[in-house]
Amino acid sequence: MSTRPPTLRENRRYILVRVEPAGTVIDQKELYYTISDAVTSLWGDGMAAVIMQAVVAAESGYVMIRCRRGTEKELGIALSTVTACRDVRLALRIVAASGTIESLRERIRSGPPVGPDRADPEECMFEKKLCIIQHCNGQKLDVIEKGFKNANRLFISRDDLE
Amino acid sequence: MKITDAAVFPYPGGDSSVRRLALEAKSLGFDSLVAVDTPAGTCDGIGIQTGILIQDLPMREVIARVKRVRDAGAVISVNARDNGFNRAVITLKGVHILRGIQAADKLAFDHVTAKMAADSGVAVDIDLSPLIFLRGPARQRVIHRYRDLLVFERRFEFPITLSSYARSIMDLRATREITGLCSLIGMDTPDVEKAFGGVERVTAPTIPSVRVIP
Repeated sequence: MSTRPPTLRENRRYILVRVEPAGTVIDQKELYYTISDAVTSLWGDGMAAVIMQAVVAAESGYVMIRCRRGTEKELGIALSTVTACRDVRLALRIVAASGTIESLRERIRSGPPVGPDRADPEECMFEKKLCIIQHCNGQKLDVIEKGFKNANRLFISRDDLE
Repeated sequence: MKITDAAVFPYPGGDSSVRRLALEAKSLGFDSLVAVDTPAGTCDGIGIQTGILIQDLPMREVIARVKRVRDAGAVISVNARDNGFNRAVITLKGVHILRGIQAADKLAFDHVTAKMAADSGVAVDIDLSPLIFLRGPARQRVIHRYRDLLVFERRFEFPITLSSYARSIMDLRATREITGLCSLIGMDTPDVEKAFGGVERVTAPTIPSVRVIP
């Protein structure tokens, strides 16, 4: 099938979302299925076909999600019901919506950098427990209690450190 | 009007410290939080109110507990049960919020209870976590219960509060997202704004209807 001329194409919108917690490794395909599941569960197959959601890019802690123009609100509500992707807990925070991917990339560049987890974890004390700092962004610290049994992240701030 | 999340559970109840929850809440558009079993204070401009949640106790112990803590300046909430229990709780002096209506008996909240809540100035809480975490018939049932509750709210005008029940920063949602979620249960933007101020409404000191002027 040949490509449609621009006037006959559907208008699309792109939503930029930030993935919490920072440093979460995102598989684009898995996230697509997760979002698709959330949309279908909330709005049903009929509305999901209208929204036509798709994950178009996942880069540096941000994800760009495509939808049909006029369905941003429905997609936004469905995105707020996403709580995990393949048993990994996460939250999707909507940052912006735009008609082009390029303007969203511009937004990512102008926003605060979301780096990966620290390569050389530093130790700290929280609630009399020895913890390892996994991620640090200004006041915000993501730590893991030291010990082979614990793998759960704790979310604290710098003021919580002893 | 303060935009308040009526229930969060900081560490050790959850995986996030109260300061971190406050940081996140600020970036998501909140002015204050009700943190269960956490001392009151202010973190980064976000007001933290102590929340006391009373659940799974017989009525006699609920009365004793409320009497003990009602002068502590905390937001006192009681989990809903059957209709008789709810009516008794609503008339208790010191109780601010009735929670867990979605999990209570189908007839637990009727027009009489709604009128009593309006007269006593007790808020009924809308827990957003089932709308976020549940799927399928379970979520549909919760949406139905909340829609039913809002019919009474429009008729009797008792206060409503909104809670995320966040045990982690990942469970918090932005005010705009909450407005979207509340549209599922038939709340429009002014209704949601009013509900965000529900905690302030029920905890504000009551102005006596008759004042003696010397």
